[in-house]
Amino acid sequence: MSRTMLTGNVAAAWGARLAGIEYLPAFPITPQTEIIETISRWIETGEMDCRMTTLESEHSMVTAAGAAAAAGVRVFTATSSQGLLYGMEMLYTTAGWRAPFVLVNVSRGLSSPITLEPDHNDILAARDSGFLQLHCATCQEVLDGVLVAYRLAEDERVRLPVIVNMDGFHLSFTREPVEITDAAAAARFLPPFDPGNLGFRAGAPLSEAVAVLGGSPYSYFRYQVHLAALNAEAVFPSIAGEFHRAFGRPFPAVETYRCDDAEVVFVMMGSFATKAKAAVDRLREAGEAVGLVRPVMLRPFPSAALREALAGKRGIAVVDQNLSPGRGGVLHTEISAALQGCAGPSPVLASFVGGLGGREIASEEFCEMAAVARRAAAEGRAPEPRLLFTEAERKEMRNLQAIALARGARERRP
Amino acid sequence: MYRIRFHGRGGQGVKTASRILGTAFFLSGFEVQDAPRYGAERRGAPIFAYVRADRRPIHERGVIRDPGLVLVADETLVAISAASVLEGVGARTAFLVHSGEETQTWRDRLDLAGPVVTLPVAGPHGEGLEARYVGAACAAAAACLAGVVSLGAVEEAVREELEGLADEVIARNREHARWAYGLMEPLRGCVEPDPAHPAGPIPPPGWVELPFEDARVSAPATHAGVTSTLVKTGLWRTVRPVIEHARCRGCWWVCGSLCPDGVIGVDEAGRPWIDYDHCKGCMVCLSQCPNRAIDAIPERDARGAESAGGEK
Amino acid sequence: MSETRFRTMKDLPAAHLLGTGTAMCAGCGGLEALHQIYDILGEKTVFINAAGCMTLLAIYPYTPFGGSWLYSAMASAPAGAQGVRDALDILLSKGRISPEEDLTAVVLTGDGSAYGMGLSAASGTIERGLDFIYVCYDNEGYGNTGQQHSGATPHGARTSTSRGRSGFPGFKKDLFAVWVSHRPSYAATVVGSEPLDLARKIEKAKGLRGPRLILALAPCPTGWDFDPAEAARIGKLAVETGVWPLKEYFDGRVTFTRAPKKRLPVEEYLEVQGRFAHLFHPRRNEVLLGDIQAQVDAAWREAESQGLPEK
Ligand SMILES: Cc1ncc(C[n+]2csc(CCOP(=O)(O)OP(=O)(O)O)c2C)c(N)n1
Ligand code: SF4
Ligand code: SF4
Ligand code: SF4
Ligand SMILES: [Mg+2]
Repeated sequence: MSRTMLTGNVAAAWGARLAGIEYLPAFPITPQTEIIETISRWIETGEMDCRMTTLESEHSMVTAAGAAAAAGVRVFTATSSQGLLYGMEMLYTTAGWRAPFVLVNVSRGLSSPITLEPDHNDILAARDSGFLQLHCATCQEVLDGVLVAYRLAEDERVRLPVIVNMDGFHLSFTREPVEITDAAAAARFLPPFDPGNLGFRAGAPLSEAVAVLGGSPYSYFRYQVHLAALNAEAVFPSIAGEFHRAFGRPFPAVETYRCDDAEVVFVMMGSFATKAKAAVDRLREAGEAVGLVRPVMLRPFPSAALREALAGKRGIAVVDQNLSPGRGGVLHTEISAALQGCAGPSPVLASFVGGLGGREIASEEFCEMAAVARRAAAEGRAPEPRLLFTEAERKEMRNLQAIALARGARERRP
Repeated sequence: MYRIRFHGRGGQGVKTASRILGTAFFLSGFEVQDAPRYGAERRGAPIFAYVRADRRPIHERGVIRDPGLVLVADETLVAISAASVLEGVGARTAFLVHSGEETQTWRDRLDLAGPVVTLPVAGPHGEGLEARYVGAACAAAAACLAGVVSLGAVEEAVREELEGLADEVIARNREHARWAYGLMEPLRGCVEPDPAHPAGPIPPPGWVELPFEDARVSAPATHAGVTSTLVKTGLWRTVRPVIEHARCRGCWWVCGSLCPDGVIGVDEAGRPWIDYDHCKGCMVCLSQCPNRAIDAIPERDARGAESAGGEK
Repeated sequence: MSETRFRTMKDLPAAHLLGTGTAMCAGCGGLEALHQIYDILGEKTVFINAAGCMTLLAIYPYTPFGGSWLYSAMASAPAGAQGVRDALDILLSKGRISPEEDLTAVVLTGDGSAYGMGLSAASGTIERGLDFIYVCYDNEGYGNTGQQHSGATPHGARTSTSRGRSGFPGFKKDLFAVWVSHRPSYAATVVGSEPLDLARKIEKAKGLRGPRLILALAPCPTGWDFDPAEAARIGKLAVETGVWPLKEYFDGRVTFTRAPKKRLPVEEYLEVQGRFAHLFHPRRNEVLLGDIQAQVDAAWREAESQGLPEK
């Protein structure tokens, strides 16, 4: 099988193409737009048989996606940041419809201030919507993730929509060698959509997404979404195993890197986790027992796999590319909860918030984070959470503020 | 790992250059990562792209801070600090600039420890290297300097990356690639792969605590007016409009109103003037002047004349 | 037009208020119109912006405005204007600001938002009779994201999501008519390449109260694929070929402010733009060219049947 240089966006488009999607409701937004542009070109050249409709907003786009899935076709859509938020009402809504489809989100920081660059606050805002979430670290994973996502979404034990997430710029606009799965093999792995009892037909009455009065039916329906999501955790290994056997590439719910004998590990999601791998290699060369644990699946939360991966570690540096104001890093909260009540000595967690709005995380910073986690483990006490922010950055902010706050400054010629 | 950075202006094919080189490395059996980096700015504004290539899987991501080779498609960028062309250029970094000046002039000017090379603007036939072939030429030059990618791989990469364009255009790009590759032969292999990480102790990152500051200063708000003039968009310009006052009839309401950026003012005598700090060189004024009183001068020549005490 | 400070081109402002150094493309027709508009509206304004190219006018800590600015979101700029206007009214009525400190609320939006996602908020705001000016720079696509088609894209244009042989299959929506159907205080079409017509309309709008639309055609070298130097010429051709009728709505009536005596063939406007190149190369698409000409002719015939233009 040969590999091709693809951006994460084009890899996502390939995933959709190989999944034989029938319908693409779309709306442009940077850094996602290349996905819908690529598919639109394939439709125009006849390489893909799919209907694409550009809606006037993401609210409409997600509505159309859910509605078409509920009507029984295989649907794909994509968005990012402000678009994901604008569609948020319909994320919760369509998840409740129990209509499976796949949405690729290209992570980008949220307004305000408005930015084009990546972090994970957008995708984490959708954490409690009922959509399942897969977080990719490479362009290959994006393609693979879309195929896996359809299997998961359409599994009769699950039947929930899935978001496949990739980082803006670092994956969306970055090319890496990607193996484009053979179409026939993809079709074997992912047969045509069987909508089961979904679908609107003359002669078959169906009132979908009806209202409820009272908490009991509401609790029932919403908790069923939860149970379906938990089922996804249970069925995932068999789907991923089948994928691995078919294509020779693993797609674990939790990836571990040089972890077995590690005393200190990084925990982080998405493409920056590969930077952590580079730092792990560097620290290993220096003789330090460091590793990486990366949740690929965030919803359902792979508690068991994470506990297993983290068992026996002394220090854990959780690197959050997101910020929950008034609490801190979201992943840190989740990992803490997952480790609560585990048998054996519990590791010390160090919380770092970094990479917000596209800020890079330097190799030296990973090394320092590992050192902090190691010290914390030795002292047996968690350090204060830290924002990755340097003296040079603070100086830069001071310079910008001097301009922004200089009332009445005005420079015109002559 | 090879870490290679291309600099140019928006619209100059820097992304294509990085993709040709990326594909050429890939065809030669390397693991590769290539990416362009666009800011908010537009055509003419400085942009860059980068390529990483290694025999092993690449875990590193993001902007290259310690390049082994830097290629500059537009020599005027070197003097522009905002373009950050020289960022991270170290003792081993090779530096290639597409320029009409002598290599020795650049060596003296930049005073770098690593090799300095020029890609002559004269082009393969001495009649000037057309802008649209600079990307392919730079990619080929980089391939030769790295020494591990054959000319055949570069030509194949040009074909793949330009697929869909006319055969003639692809042929011309390949011709330019051959020319640039050949020119670099004497220096073939002067760019060596760098180690995965720098040797020696790991420097501390220099973190600081970010203190609370009240919302009067810590909200994303600008309390000063018209601060955008501090941004010198004149740097985007590659061609300069020059008002020939002998031909100008003083109808400033034409050029002054139509200039999209509003950079044409009027002096007391009713004569228009152009704010070159901000003029983007769109040439709307030139095309709209009813008296053809505006000339277009290549920016390089205009800057040269300026520093020689010429027109201000 | 009655009472105007702008009788000839010589009356146009010689010095400009909008700061230079913004991130708009060289040759941006939207910026050309905006700086002319700002010269006349002045700095006693607060611009409420919807996501689009112009969002990048103000990038911390740089702003071209001597007055005020608030970036909102893609869908809700008119609602932002509502909040700002209502608050200013409260402050005025309570004497917490003086009348001299009052500002005009101005929405600044692209067509993608105006013709689509932002239309509902705009409709509601007009319906409530808000005292505001709504400036839409119409570059006929989602420019900031790379020119995908929007509700303002003309029939046949190539966009990054309609690259086939016949370009965009849909038709440009008539936003002017949508506004007029709401009976606003004022509505006008303008283009930066006709600065005198534009100045008079902004002057007129400024003198009125209530919802006022300024719909500016914004030739876009990047999205329409032409040499930036051609921006003003293309704006002029849009008017001379009748593609972009310069008109205004006031007091219940539509008036054409600059109807070309004899309209040039639409081709002259189309053939200078890369986004229509497929209508001419590799061979002429006579059917589509004929359709586009027929649409323009029909629009003018309809206007004439209503006794317009009369100016
Ligand atoms: C809810 C939401 N969806 C998508 C976007 C991404 N986006 C930013 S600007 C833009 C295009 C706006 O088009 P238009 O209004 O025509 O303005 P232009 O870019 O052409 O100036 C889009 C789609 C966004 N900011 N918010
Ligand atoms: S339009 Fe031409 S002639 Fe008129 S003032 Fe400007 S430069 Fe001079
Ligand atoms: S080239 Fe002319 S029209 Fe364009 S920005 Fe410069 S002065 Fe203005
Ligand atoms: S894309 Fe078009 S509208 Fe946007 S800034 Fe550039 S020229 Fe102006
Ligand atoms: Mg637009």
